[in-house]
Amino acid sequence: MASPAPILAARGVSKGFFGNPVLRDVSIALMPGRVHALLGENGAGKSTLINLLSGALRPDSGTIEIDGQAVSRHSPPEARRAGIAVVQQELSLTGSLSIAENVGLGDYPRRFGLVDYAALAARAKAACDLVGLHEPLATPVGELSLGRRQMVEIAKALYRKPRVLILDEPTSSLSATETRILTTLLEKLRAEGIAILYISHRLDEVMQLCQHVTVLKDGTCTADRPLEGVNAAGLVRLMVGRDPGDLFPRWDSTRTDRTAIAVAKLSAGAMQDVDLEIKAGEVVGIGGLVGQGQEDLLLGLYGAIPAKVVSATIGGQAGLPGNVPQANARGLAYVPADRKREGLHLIHPILTNLMLPAFARMPALKLRNRAAERETAMGLALQFSIKGDLGRAAQALSGGNQQKVALAKWMPHDPTVLLLNDPTRGVDVETKREIYQMLRGFAAAGKAVVLLSSDTPELVHLCDRVAVVREGRIVTMLDRGGLSEEAIVAAAMGAERERQAA
Amino acid sequence: MSNASLSAPGRGNALYWAIQAKRNIGVRSLFLVVLAFMVAYGFLFHGLFTGTGFAKFTQSWFPLALVAMAQAILMLTGGISLAIGALVSLGAVIAATTMTGPLGVAGGAAVVGIVGLGIGAATGLIVVKLRLPAIVVTLAGSFIIAGAALLVLPRPGGAMPDWLSNLLAGNTPAAFAVLVVIVLLWKLYLATPLGLSLYAAGENPVGAYRSGVPVDAARIAAYAISGLLCTGAGLFVAAQTGSGDPIIGTSFTLNSIAAAVLGGIGFLGGQGTMRGALAGSLLLSLMISVMFFLGFTPVAQYVAQGLIIIGAVAIPQFRMRAR
Repeated sequence: MASPAPILAARGVSKGFFGNPVLRDVSIALMPGRVHALLGENGAGKSTLINLLSGALRPDSGTIEIDGQAVSRHSPPEARRAGIAVVQQELSLTGSLSIAENVGLGDYPRRFGLVDYAALAARAKAACDLVGLHEPLATPVGELSLGRRQMVEIAKALYRKPRVLILDEPTSSLSATETRILTTLLEKLRAEGIAILYISHRLDEVMQLCQHVTVLKDGTCTADRPLEGVNAAGLVRLMVGRDPGDLFPRWDSTRTDRTAIAVAKLSAGAMQDVDLEIKAGEVVGIGGLVGQGQEDLLLGLYGAIPAKVVSATIGGQAGLPGNVPQANARGLAYVPADRKREGLHLIHPILTNLMLPAFARMPALKLRNRAAERETAMGLALQFSIKGDLGRAAQALSGGNQQKVALAKWMPHDPTVLLLNDPTRGVDVETKREIYQMLRGFAAAGKAVVLLSSDTPELVHLCDRVAVVREGRIVTMLDRGGLSEEAIVAAAMGAERERQAA
Repeated sequence: MSNASLSAPGRGNALYWAIQAKRNIGVRSLFLVVLAFMVAYGFLFHGLFTGTGFAKFTQSWFPLALVAMAQAILMLTGGISLAIGALVSLGAVIAATTMTGPLGVAGGAAVVGIVGLGIGAATGLIVVKLRLPAIVVTLAGSFIIAGAALLVLPRPGGAMPDWLSNLLAGNTPAAFAVLVVIVLLWKLYLATPLGLSLYAAGENPVGAYRSGVPVDAARIAAYAISGLLCTGAGLFVAAQTGSGDPIIGTSFTLNSIAAAVLGGIGFLGGQGTMRGALAGSLLLSLMISVMFFLGFTPVAQYVAQGLIIIGAVAIPQFRMRAR
C-alpha cells in the first residue's frame, strides 16, 4: 500500500452516552488513495465513530489525528478546514434553495461582498457533473427525489475539494444507475489520492469497492484488515456472535392453531405486498436493518397509518382496523419504540400512565373511580415489578421501568395480539431478562406476540419465526430450525445468495 | 413584482435570474389574485389610475408592506414577532418628538433607525443565544416597547415637519419610490452570503451549521433588519398623521402575520419568498379598500378578512392532499 501516514486517524478512542459505553478503544486510519469500509450492525457504534472523526463529538479518551498530528480541539469547522467532508444520512439540504445554492452553502465564492453567481455556477456545475447531476442548477432542491437529493449532498461534499470523504450509507436511497455513477466516481477519487471512508449495509458494494475493512461489534473493533481474502460470509461472522449467556428463557413451542392475524398483500407506508399469518401462542420476530419499513408494518396492522390489503383477518374480524380504538377493541395493543415521545406521558404520574388505555375506553363523561384505579395500577406494578411510588412522574423511572409501564398499561384489557416495537432498546440487562420472560409468558398464555427488534440475538432466542424485511418487503421468513444470527444478518444485507453459493 | 432591475454581481447572471424565475412559481396564483383585486378596485375607484389616486393608495399600503416584510424575515428564520405593532408605535413617537426639535429630520430619522436596529438585535440575541422561543420573547418585548412608547409620549401629540408629511403622504408617489428602494436593498442583501443563509438557517439549522453557515449571525441580523423596518414604518405613520400616537401601531402585529401568511410564508422557517409577503400585504390592503367601496360594515370586513386568510392557508393544503 501507498504512503505510511494516514490523513485522518482515530487512536484508541472511547465514547459513552449517559454512562453507556458506545465505543471502546477503537482505532481506525484512513489512508490516501484507499476506500475503507466500516461495517457493523445497528447500534455497533458506526455513527458515533463518524461523529468523532468529523468533529461533531469529542472522544472521552483517545485522540484524533490529522496528518499524523493529534488535534486537541476537533470541531466541524476545524474538520472542514482540514479537508474532511462528510455525507450524512440525514440530509443537510435546504429545500427552498436551488441546487447551486445548496452545493455551495457555507462556502460561497464572493465578489464585492455578494455571492458571485457566475463563479458559483461554474464550480457547482463541476461538482454536479462529477456525480452525474444534470438537472438545471436553478432547480429548487425541494423538487428533487430523495435519490437525487443524495447526489446533491455528495456534490456538496465534492465542491469543497476534500482530502477525506466520509460517506454514511450513501447508496441507501440511490437507484442502480446512480449507484454505478457513484462507484465509478469513488474509484476516480481514490486514484486521485483521496482517503474515503465508506459505510454501507450492502456487502456486495463493499466487496467490489473497498480495499480495507474495519468491523465494529458492540462498540469494539473486531477486525481491521485488508478486504483481500475475505468473503461476505466471513464479514457477517465478524459482525455478529455474542455470548447470549442465560439472558433468554428456555424456548418451548406454545403455538396453537388459532389464527390471530392473517393478511394478504398488505401495503402500509414503506411496506408493500406483505403476506403474513400469525397464530395465537407464537412469537413472530420482525428483523432487518433499521428503517426498512418494519415500523410501518406494525402501524398498518394497528390501524395507525393508512393501509391497503387484499384480504385480512385480525382479532377474529375481517379487514384491517380503521383506527386505533378499533384495533384496541379487537384485542390489539401496540408498544412504540420511542417510549419517551410515543409510549409515555413523562411528566404525568406513573398511575395516570398505567390507566391511560382504560380512560380511553370509558364513556367520555363518566366519573373516575380513583380507588379502583389505584387498585388496578398497584396490581400491574406488582405483576411487572415496577418499582417506586405510583404518584411520581413517569420520567423519574429508569428506562427499563418506563418500558415496563408502557407494556403494563395494556394488560387490564387482556390483549390477544401484542405489537412490540423494539421493546428492549436502551433497557438494562436485568430488565431485558424480565421482558423476555414476560414475552414467552404471553405466548404461553395464548397471545400472539409480534416482536420488531433491532437486536438480532433477541430474535434468534425468543421467536418461533422471524420475518426479515429489506426495502419494504419481507425477503425471508426463517423458521425456528433455520434461525441464526448469521442467517438474519445475511438476509438483511442481501448476502444470502452468496451464502448459498458458498 | 419585486423582480428588481438590480444587476446581481458581475457577468454570468444566467444562474441568478434562473433561480429568481423559479422562485416566482410558488406565488404565481397569488399574483393573479392580487391582479384581480386590483382590477376590481380600479372599477370601483376610478381615481386609482390618476397620479393622486395612485399616491394615496400606495401610501395606505406602505406601512403594511414594511411590517409584512419585517414579519416575513423572522418567519423565514423559523421565528415570529409579536412586538411589531409596539415597535411601529415607538418609531412613530420618537419621530414625532425629535424631528421638530434640535435633532432635526436627519437626526430624528437616525434615532428612529438606531432604536429599531438596536431593539431588533437585542431581541435576536436573546432568542438565538439563550435559545428562548421567539413568540414568548417578542410578547414580553411588546409590553416593554409599548411601555417605552408611552414614556416618550404619554398621549397623542408631538409634531412632524410639514414638508416631510407633504413629501411622504402628499400627492406624490414618494412612498412608492421609497418602497422600491427598500425592495432593491433587500434583493441586494439576499445576494450576500449572509442574506442567503437566512433560508438555510431557517429550514435546516443543523444541516446549515454543519455546512459552515453562520446560523446565529444570520438569525440575529434578521431580527435587527426586522426592527429597523418596523420603526421605519412608525416614522412613516407619524408623517401620515402629522403627529405621534403611542398606540397607533397596535393593529400592525396581527396584520403583519396575516399578510405574511397570505403571501405564503410558512411558520416552520425557510418557506416562502419576500415577493410573496409583499403581494400578501398588497392583497390585504386591496381587500380592505374594495370592501370599503362595496359598503361592507366594519364588522363584516373583519369577518370576510378572517375567512379569506383561512381560505388562503387551507387551499394549498387541500390541493396537496388531492395530489
